[in-house]
Amino acid sequence: MIKSIVILIVLSLCIGTGAWLIFIWTVKRGDFDDVEGPKYRMLDDDENNSSPPGTSQGEKK
Amino acid sequence: MSSPDTCVHCNLPIPPADLVVDQIDGKELHFCCHGCQGVYRIITGAGLESFYRNRTWDEQGVPSGAFEADYDEASLAGHVIRRDETTADISLIIEGIRCASCVWLLEKLLVREAGVTAIRVNYGTHRAVIRFNPQATTPAKIFSAISRLGYLPHPFSPGAAQQAAAREQRSLLIRFGTAAFLSMQLMGFSFALYGGYFHGIDPEIRQLIQYFAAAVATPVVFYSGWPFLAGAWRSLKNRSASMDLLISLGVSTAYCYSIYAMFKGGEVYFDTSAMIITLILLGRLFESSARNRSISGIDKLLRLAPDSASRVDGDEVNTVASASLVPGDTILVRPGERIPVDCQVLSGDTEVDESTVTGEPMPILRQAGDKVSAGSLNLSTSIRLKVEKVAAESFIARMARLVEEAQNRKAPIQSMADRVATLFVPLVTTIAIGTWAFWWFSGASHGEALLNAVSVLIVACPCALGLATPTAVLAASGNAAGKGILFRGGDILELTSRVDLIAFDKTGTLTHGQPTVEQIIPASGQTETTLLELASRAESGSSHPLAMAVLASAKTAGIQPGPAGLVTAVPGRGLKMQCKDGEILAGSRTFLTESGVEVPTIDSGTRTEVHLSLGGVWQGLLLLHDPLRQEAQQTVRELKKLGLDMVLLTGDRPETAQQVSENLAMPDYQANMSPADKTAWIETRQGDNHTVMMVGDGINDAPALSLADVGCAMAGGTDIALETSDLVLTRPDLESLHIAIFIARKAMQVIKQNLFWAFSYNLVTIPLAASGKLAPVWAAAAMAGSSILVVSNSLRLGRLVRRTFSVAKPPASD
Repeated sequence: MIKSIVILIVLSLCIGTGAWLIFIWTVKRGDFDDVEGPKYRMLDDDENNSSPPGTSQGEKK
Repeated sequence: MSSPDTCVHCNLPIPPADLVVDQIDGKELHFCCHGCQGVYRIITGAGLESFYRNRTWDEQGVPSGAFEADYDEASLAGHVIRRDETTADISLIIEGIRCASCVWLLEKLLVREAGVTAIRVNYGTHRAVIRFNPQATTPAKIFSAISRLGYLPHPFSPGAAQQAAAREQRSLLIRFGTAAFLSMQLMGFSFALYGGYFHGIDPEIRQLIQYFAAAVATPVVFYSGWPFLAGAWRSLKNRSASMDLLISLGVSTAYCYSIYAMFKGGEVYFDTSAMIITLILLGRLFESSARNRSISGIDKLLRLAPDSASRVDGDEVNTVASASLVPGDTILVRPGERIPVDCQVLSGDTEVDESTVTGEPMPILRQAGDKVSAGSLNLSTSIRLKVEKVAAESFIARMARLVEEAQNRKAPIQSMADRVATLFVPLVTTIAIGTWAFWWFSGASHGEALLNAVSVLIVACPCALGLATPTAVLAASGNAAGKGILFRGGDILELTSRVDLIAFDKTGTLTHGQPTVEQIIPASGQTETTLLELASRAESGSSHPLAMAVLASAKTAGIQPGPAGLVTAVPGRGLKMQCKDGEILAGSRTFLTESGVEVPTIDSGTRTEVHLSLGGVWQGLLLLHDPLRQEAQQTVRELKKLGLDMVLLTGDRPETAQQVSENLAMPDYQANMSPADKTAWIETRQGDNHTVMMVGDGINDAPALSLADVGCAMAGGTDIALETSDLVLTRPDLESLHIAIFIARKAMQVIKQNLFWAFSYNLVTIPLAASGKLAPVWAAAAMAGSSILVVSNSLRLGRLVRRTFSVAKPPASD
């Protein structure tokens, strides 16, 4: 009983930590620096709209 | 998209003499100049013609001198950040970005430039970072590519303070994200513990869950809560009590007690400490993102003066850095360029847009011998100027200094929460120590005395107290944002509620800042329509504000101007047009009289006259003025009802000021005010114990906006005004101002109620805890109850705002 509870709790913590790490990564990547632009960016009818990698200002020291 | 008489690219009306016709893809397109034609060809040639479909502005384009800019490789090199042999970054600010299409166009076109590997333009701040291969291209080439598109790039290295602010914002976001994530986990554990408390739980499992709870709560307290702990330590060192100290006190006692209880087999309160930190961090996050929207106002001010200037050395014209100009140098300023330093005109008559200096939208005629200020825009012809002051002493730099001084002089206010903390922290600590001493001396065991003292700290734990202000601030700013009002922080909310004197700037704030045709007086035998047609025909090629007003009014009246002829503009006077009916003159009274036209005397008050004549015969006149905003009168009335004093501060003439103040029933006005006068005036009033709000929109208002207790700017004003203000009305609608004050006052009321409730709760529970009669679990329940009460009281604000203002204003047509 205790064993299964521990396993489940640890599992849920692992999943949560995964989401947390992704969050940290997105913040460091600068995805939250410009919250105004992306809503317009998606409206552009462009064929290859892949965002350029890590060009935000926050990348610099 | 663009009517036949406007340029396909820049939307400016095409002066008939300059018409450029081009055949592109079998269509006949009209341009106002070869520059626009070239840009159109670049854009369509790159397959990006959807820019013209995407763009959402119909205003006129960029300053025409922009295309000739020359970029100095050496001065740009200092802004390049090298990453390795083949990669380098450069940060820049791009002037002229109006809508998302501009961002799109820049990104698409620049990435096609040889050597450019990536570009990201920030729509909100107009900043861009370009990554390029320094072996394949140079910054100057990139800059020329941007200016070829008609945008003005400026190199930009974020100052240390801005970088720090950006880092701060990010670390706050991560701290909050972490706290939120862990608190959610913690809630799961707490839920099990609550269940166990009421229904019984195996002590072994309880202990196990408590361990997990401690494991997730610890990082919240020590990592996410670090700013509070550090703040508490600072205030301890300064021997002053602050909100940080109060929060830390509550959080750390709840945390430490829980650790102790965990090993002793008692109930734990980890969720309390984690929740307080999470909620208060959320509040701070909102505040700081409102504050750091953009780069500081001073930087934007300084880049109004161009970085480079054209110096005339004998027969040649050299591009030099503005900073290297010394008094006595001769410089050349072309139409569309800004004047780099304070100068005197040597030769050339031109009209200058001095709105940066005076706030007035009308261009002013400048002739040889006149002085011009740095930052003003040369409109009509190339002029030669003699440099009078070095860049660091020029108008723009002086203005930046004024803003900086005003910001430094503004005393930081002690917020209500901090004042409460000052009272509360020593009080609670004394009671806790008193409790411990009482039990110790009355012979209780050491453990029992300590436990009672700790439970005093826990019930006095500033749960409700700590949430009282942030939740109300959050609710108020959230609802205000929905109404187009942006408070930059809780202290601004508090100050706004205390404002008792509002100073208004005139042009652009109370008025629209653009002239419109108010009255048409045709000569006998003429109708208003024929006169307006004549006027719009004459003015069709001009971008003068008066001409724009005439054209707009003709367009509203549905008048198509007839075929235009050859136009000669006389700066500061008016224009002459040759057409088949004869010579049309449009301009000032003096202009017509000098040309031998007889003009009858008409009293036009403070309005601007545009007289018209055809073939030497006076045809009538148009009276233009800068109209008051529709809602201005109503707003002034509402503000009066709220018991506020108001005053008009303007750089305009006393007659105009008097007229405006009479129209608005605003008793007090001050005319002929320079930017420095405005700050001085506000400072005097602040000395008389007034809390002053300044409402303005111009660069000339910036120092006053930063000095006033609350600086308020409206969307549509200059960027600098928006940056230096604390309260931003995001819609060009004065009515939001009284909603802002209403919300601020209500929010303060709610905060007071919250504080009152938190205090009464403490009044009851502290004595119970001190006497050892309060079981910790009931203390926790009471605490949760009071927190819920405080939060829901704060949420009431939203309903209050919606109820009061939902009917008053029809929804904006969207």
